[in-house]
Amino acid sequence: MTAGVVWGRQVLALTVKELRQLWRDRPLLLYVVYLFTVELVLVAGGTRELSHAPFLVRDADRSAASRELVHDLREPWFTLRGEVRDPGEALRALDHGEVRFFVDIPPTFSRDLGRGDTPATVQLVVDGSRVVSAWLAPSYAGRIADGLSRDQAARNLGRLGVDVAALPTIENRRRTWYNPNLDDAWGNALAELLSMMTVACVLLPAAAAVREKEHGTIEQLLVSPLTPLQVMLSKALSMVFVALLGTGIALHGILRAVYGLPAHGSLTLLLAVTALYAFTNAALGLVLSTFARNTTQVGLLILLTLMPVLQLSGTWSPFEAEPEPLRAVMSLSPLRHLVSVAYGILLRGVGMEVLWPHVAAIAALGTACFGAGLWRFRRQFG
Amino acid sequence: MGEAALVSGPPVVRAAGMWKRYRGRPAVRGVDLRVERGELHGLIGADGAGKSSLLEAIAGVLSFEGGVLEVLGVRIDSEASAERVKGRIGFMPQGLGLNLYPELSVEENVDFFARLRLVPAAALAARKERLLAMTRLAPFRRRPMKHLSGGMKQKLGLICTLVHEPELLVLDEPTTGVDPVSRRDFWAILSELLRSGGLTALISTAYLDEASRFHRVSLLHEGRCVASGDPTEVRRLVPGAAVSVEAEPQADAFAALKAAFPQVEALGGTLRVFVEAATPEEATARVRSALARTPPRRVAADEPDLEDAFVALLRREGARVEAGPPVAVGAPAAPGGGDAIEADGLTRDFGAFRAVDQVTFRVRPGEIFGLLGANGAGKTTVIKMLTGLLRPSAGRGRVAGVDMARSDRAVKRRIGYMSQAFSLYTDLTVAENVSLYAGIYGLGRAAARERADALLAMAGLARHRDARTASLPMGMRQRLALGCALVHRPEVVFLDEPTSGVDPLGRRRFWDILFELARRERVAVLVTTHSMTEAERCDRLALMFAGRIVSDAPPAVLKRDVERDAGRLLEVVADDPAGAVERLRRDGLGDPVLFGRRIHVLSPEPERDASRIRKSLAAAGIACRGIEPVPLSMEDVFIYRVRALEEREAWRAGGRS
Repeated sequence: MTAGVVWGRQVLALTVKELRQLWRDRPLLLYVVYLFTVELVLVAGGTRELSHAPFLVRDADRSAASRELVHDLREPWFTLRGEVRDPGEALRALDHGEVRFFVDIPPTFSRDLGRGDTPATVQLVVDGSRVVSAWLAPSYAGRIADGLSRDQAARNLGRLGVDVAALPTIENRRRTWYNPNLDDAWGNALAELLSMMTVACVLLPAAAAVREKEHGTIEQLLVSPLTPLQVMLSKALSMVFVALLGTGIALHGILRAVYGLPAHGSLTLLLAVTALYAFTNAALGLVLSTFARNTTQVGLLILLTLMPVLQLSGTWSPFEAEPEPLRAVMSLSPLRHLVSVAYGILLRGVGMEVLWPHVAAIAALGTACFGAGLWRFRRQFG
Repeated sequence: MGEAALVSGPPVVRAAGMWKRYRGRPAVRGVDLRVERGELHGLIGADGAGKSSLLEAIAGVLSFEGGVLEVLGVRIDSEASAERVKGRIGFMPQGLGLNLYPELSVEENVDFFARLRLVPAAALAARKERLLAMTRLAPFRRRPMKHLSGGMKQKLGLICTLVHEPELLVLDEPTTGVDPVSRRDFWAILSELLRSGGLTALISTAYLDEASRFHRVSLLHEGRCVASGDPTEVRRLVPGAAVSVEAEPQADAFAALKAAFPQVEALGGTLRVFVEAATPEEATARVRSALARTPPRRVAADEPDLEDAFVALLRREGARVEAGPPVAVGAPAAPGGGDAIEADGLTRDFGAFRAVDQVTFRVRPGEIFGLLGANGAGKTTVIKMLTGLLRPSAGRGRVAGVDMARSDRAVKRRIGYMSQAFSLYTDLTVAENVSLYAGIYGLGRAAARERADALLAMAGLARHRDARTASLPMGMRQRLALGCALVHRPEVVFLDEPTSGVDPLGRRRFWDILFELARRERVAVLVTTHSMTEAERCDRLALMFAGRIVSDAPPAVLKRDVERDAGRLLEVVADDPAGAVERLRRDGLGDPVLFGRRIHVLSPEPERDASRIRKSLAAAGIACRGIEPVPLSMEDVFIYRVRALEEREAWRAGGRS
């Protein structure tokens, strides 16, 4: 029997043990299954569009034009909560958080609109404490007002005998590539899958390693003819297995089946990178576990490490919008590279020829983490 | 004896036909129990015998289904009735210091429990000082509980249980995992508390040798009370004789005796047989005839002890006492005649603290070597250095001829290790644990299966192979851990407190396995233990104190040395034993220790001291019922040695300052 066979048998025995332990730990198993399934469905339903934003109106003009404006602020983007006579009443409702904004139409609105010599003004009071709707509501309302003013201008010009159709206009016709319907679910569910996989990949091996420390089983392993490399490798390998299984189920069972997410590129490549990614994160988790004495400590440490990774790796906000120094730091986040790879393969259909720098970065980070983990592990127990 | 004087008034605890089930599985099956006022009552039994359930029900923290329970004159039949007596009970659950708060200091813990019990501030101040002084914890009042030693944690737990001055003290295995010196301290404190009056104590223990410390004991087995009474009465329930034999080859003699008698144990080089219902002469003759093939060198009959009686009683109840069939579980006979373990000046420093100091010893193949010492004496550190888990700061440890500092992978294949906590994967099944270690040692599938079958048969776990390890009682877990440590047929086995928390019957089976391993397969066994009955089973014992080995000899030699230095042990039976102890101490008659209702005194001149004791007691008006020399126990030896060293250390520290 060669040394290599024994070495392999040892790693296999340990890897099988890790998987068995996860299988037996029903609450943890349920948690992992949840991360790869229900969690994605919940998050996919979320939207970054404006939806049902409640508002109040004071219409001092009471004209056809003012009614048209109010009518255009409609479902599903806006929900009219009623009309007020006193602006103070509307401000109170804003204070109490009952509405997001307040439209104040002055008595001169239709007159100014018809005459055209002074611009017709409408006041929009927005609740800035709700950042997203504070950004979106004025922009949507502005677009609606623009349309209304364009229509009014055309009407006025028509009355003057100008051929409106002959006027020079730039029409904004959007053709969105890779996600033609701008389906939020694609982005949301995919981003969530990558995030949750990251959580699982760091958490599970770290928790398993700390548990061995707590129960003293690690000593039992260390007096046997195992090397720290084998102990660490088996934990990383079992995680790779779980991540591949989870990603496979999430991709085929949910993202593709339920939301019709396309796969323009090679799924095999995606799974291969996922495996590499799982290994890298498992190594990160194992490094963290060497700094913790118990499960609580390692949990807090992981929370601290993963918070910025999940927020700033380009899943929920555009990576290029971050300030330069932050971007430099975040290029150390494996998730940032996986986001590029996953979106590139699934939606843009590109392959290694384009994505290799990201894949190389994940591999380099993985090697560094694993090396650091091994060094820490040897120092602690060697 | 003073029995009649003590039994007065209604019992403190009266249980009749008590039942307790967990999910339909009965844990307590019709227990009858009576605890009299002022009594130190012991509850003895194996794991799962129902001790904890019974104690918890009495303490009012566990409901029960059937039977009658009266505690302090109150019939416990509802939560409300349990609440009524809770204020008069002090309960310490199982597990060292588990009821305490590790981050709080000694004093803060005491204050917290006092406030919880609404103890008035003035009463608390006085009581706290008295208890801290009595337990000698006063100098450590500001130390966080987590930095206390095991013995100190246990004493703090006792203070917190006593701070509201309960009438009934219920302690669940308070001495498990505590070293012998702290244990003796604990019993002394308890006797003192009981003597000051008004207190009754009901205590369970896993150490059979502690049974003689109680006024009365109840033996529990599978949820029923099998026997109850004064330790002497219980011993007389099973008449018979104990025969000690020396014969070679020992393993064959052991097998022959086991075939003929149900109760045989190996104590180092001696085999001990309990022959039921026989006079010493008959017993000796029967043992001789059983050993026709291996004629014994020495045969001696003596009084059976309490443990013999317990085991016999449990055997009558159908408990399995013996280990499974011996199988070849160890390595083939070790090659060459070299020592299996050689420690040469092993030293280990943790910062400025020297945990192990110049430790030197040898263990031969086939020898069972015991390492004794208080918690923190350095035993575990020695084992860690010899297994390659820790690097020595100085000195050398060689195992199977290889220096462990280099922690060669090849030598790791030749050693087995079982750590303090039986480090098994509790979420895996029995068979999965064994096959995991088989994989770790590189065994192929077929070899692993064959090995697993043999080991599980040896450990008596064949029926439980698919049981989750977490669901097994401690005794089974321990045998499984041993099985896992033997998967690869090691030549040397290290066992760090392998029996801590395991019940007496489980321990006997475990030691039978160790004996077979050492004698038949020449495996060298290094074991640490707090149990003094186990220490007697070793071929050789090394006593560690403050990181050093202070004596290294066979148990019999250690005893002889102490007898030479300190004299014979006298057992005094007197009315009012607690008063007698005080009197003897005041008259400067050695350091008397109370064992149940008996007093033990080490005496350099037994004849003269016996008459002085009689005189001293007569002067105090205490009737002396008898004084006779008894054999020293290993515990006496241990405590004598450690006390002497502590005194020398204290003297030296005093001289320096």
